[in-house]
Amino acid sequence: MKKFWALFFFFWPAVAIWCCLIAPANGWWFPGKAMSPLGERIDGLFYLILGIVIVVFIGTQFAIGYVLWKGATKPEDESATFSHGSHSLELIWTIVPSFVLVFIALYQMDVWAEFRVQSYYPEQTQEDGPKMEVTARQFEWRIRYPSAGEQLKNQPQPGDLYAVNEIHVPTGRPVKFNLRTDDVQHAFFAPQLRVKQDAVAGLIIPVWFEIPVAGEYDLVCAELCGWGHYKMRATIVAEPQAQVDEYLARLQGEQNFDGVVEDADK
Amino acid sequence: MLVKTNRQLSILTIGVTLVSLAGCSGGSDYPDGYKSRFVYSDRTDSLMGEAQNGIGDLPGVKKLVDDRFGDPQKLNAWLKLPIDFGGVTGELAETPDASVAVEELTLSFDGEVTKDGDKPLLLQFVTGKAAPSIVFVSNWLAEGGKASLTAAMDVPPAAGDQVVVNGGGVLAHGRGLYMRHCSHCHGTSGDGKGPTAEYLVPRPRDYRHGVFKFTSTDAQSKVSRDDLYRILRNGVPGTYMPSFVPMLQEDELVAVIEYVRFLAMRGEFERKLVNELASDYSEAALQSRKESGESRKDIVEELKEFLTDDMQDSLAFVSDDLAESWDTANSEDALIVPDCSRIEDSIASRRIGRELYLSKTLNCADCHGISAKGNGPQTTIYEKNPITSELYPDPGLHDVWDNVNQPRNLTQGIYRGGRRPVDLFRRIHAGIKGSRMPSFKKVLKHEEIWHIVNYVLSVPFNAEPGHAPVAVPDEPAATAAL
Repeated sequence: MKKFWALFFFFWPAVAIWCCLIAPANGWWFPGKAMSPLGERIDGLFYLILGIVIVVFIGTQFAIGYVLWKGATKPEDESATFSHGSHSLELIWTIVPSFVLVFIALYQMDVWAEFRVQSYYPEQTQEDGPKMEVTARQFEWRIRYPSAGEQLKNQPQPGDLYAVNEIHVPTGRPVKFNLRTDDVQHAFFAPQLRVKQDAVAGLIIPVWFEIPVAGEYDLVCAELCGWGHYKMRATIVAEPQAQVDEYLARLQGEQNFDGVVEDADK
Repeated sequence: MLVKTNRQLSILTIGVTLVSLAGCSGGSDYPDGYKSRFVYSDRTDSLMGEAQNGIGDLPGVKKLVDDRFGDPQKLNAWLKLPIDFGGVTGELAETPDASVAVEELTLSFDGEVTKDGDKPLLLQFVTGKAAPSIVFVSNWLAEGGKASLTAAMDVPPAAGDQVVVNGGGVLAHGRGLYMRHCSHCHGTSGDGKGPTAEYLVPRPRDYRHGVFKFTSTDAQSKVSRDDLYRILRNGVPGTYMPSFVPMLQEDELVAVIEYVRFLAMRGEFERKLVNELASDYSEAALQSRKESGESRKDIVEELKEFLTDDMQDSLAFVSDDLAESWDTANSEDALIVPDCSRIEDSIASRRIGRELYLSKTLNCADCHGISAKGNGPQTTIYEKNPITSELYPDPGLHDVWDNVNQPRNLTQGIYRGGRRPVDLFRRIHAGIKGSRMPSFKKVLKHEEIWHIVNYVLSVPFNAEPGHAPVAVPDEPAATAAL
């Protein structure tokens, strides 16, 4: 039985090594390719931390297994030795992890700043200003664009364009927008872009992302906001600027529709 | 320590598993498993028992409704209604030889029927002696229209019998989606009393009046499919109705719309049947008739006579009306199309609009308030319930659902039925159905409506528009127009 427990603790790091070897090829657990440059850097951090955790996990598990095995194979009649511990060992396992943590804390700083600290947002977004306002609401996303050539204001303006659950953004440039909520707390989560930001009542939170490749990306709510939480699905459509302008012009046309359709034959 | 030995550990584990399994099954509350069902309206329940449940073989309101609409587990497709039940209709081309077992039919269909691999086609007889039996087609030859059945028919059909193949698919699809996404607010029967409904202000729509507020159709018309589609696509801002795109796909939206129409028609049918009976045969009427000296036996006798002689006519009248009104709502004639384009937005136009808004004939300010904040004097009055003739407990205007009907605060820029100029035009032209917003189509010319639309759209951007005269800036601020 003693040997069983020693083997038991050897078993798990062996499983962990096996998983690490085959997981990338099978795409297990990993969130797919990030579709934004910042997302790739966030993934870089994720994999770095994952690597550190794997090394630590396997190391400590093998150490436990080794100690157990040593105890299990000792002759029964040999009495145990009593020790007050090892001062140098304690120093090592305190200082080494703290160096690792400080390293992670410093290493991630620029990515975090670019993601969250406004003054570190890409220059382009500072120049452009917010492109639209996204308002989370139980249970949908309402989008307000400024009219062509205008800057977005926090108060609705005459000529603003409104859409629901569909965001059109230009590809290949950082896009900033204002995130708000009408009611409870929601979270703007675009998994492929690695963007997740809570929408907090009373705050206007600027968020940015950049999508190099045209396509449709998911937007979901990542903060349990009520019984209809699952309904908060929307689409982020990334397309060249010209098509975004076309879309906004179409939206303008729909919004000004007065119900009178001119007969083409007339 | 809680677990001292392995033995204890294993017992504890089993114990936990058992407890959680017992928790999962939890079947004792629902001995037959949980079944959803359609409920009858309170008005149906207020009829005397015989009118609800029938006398002997004569069906009462409940059976008349159930026969036509079924229950959520087994929906009935009443083909009289303008609902797309799905499936392909057709008829029996030849009367099969009744002397031998009928195992093959010759059919002609209105559309193309394709068979999906080994899956048998579901063929239902709609008219004739064989109706409403369902048979399964194991083999289908489109050429010649030969259908081999999986089993012989009990009752032989005759040529000309109407059939439908794979019918009801749309409705069943819609039911599944509705139960998952809509019923928790709008209720299984569409009565707006789902479990989450009581937490919402405004309350979710009760479909059973057959009335929907935000439509593109004429004042007397029902809601069209396009209107329901627009609501599902855009949601209703200012209420808890969210947008269901992109969560639902196009075919799913269509299915949900048909099911909502089905529920609305069911409710309206029930309501109208009750109207035929309520004045003479409600519990209250029974009470007062007894007080004036009639005996219960006589009243039941009279009801029996009514159910025997007059009910057929009433049914025909109610169902014809129902089918026609829901059908015409989708026609082009029902759609409100302004006879002139929107008058260009300008200060002058807004002024005309504001004058109309404040005028005695329209009296918009009576409800919406002079400053358009939805606080007119009508919001403080006590109204009588038109059915019970008692005062409502809360002040303010009430809609047909007996909810307080707050006139819209136009300064907020939230437009429940849509913010396009044509949406506002239709609100004024047809009114808001079921609410106290009346139709102004008889008193206003279309261009006058456009002036009001221009004024209303400018309201959120002017401080206190009703108090000071509209300021004339050098450049007019554009509203929704470019």
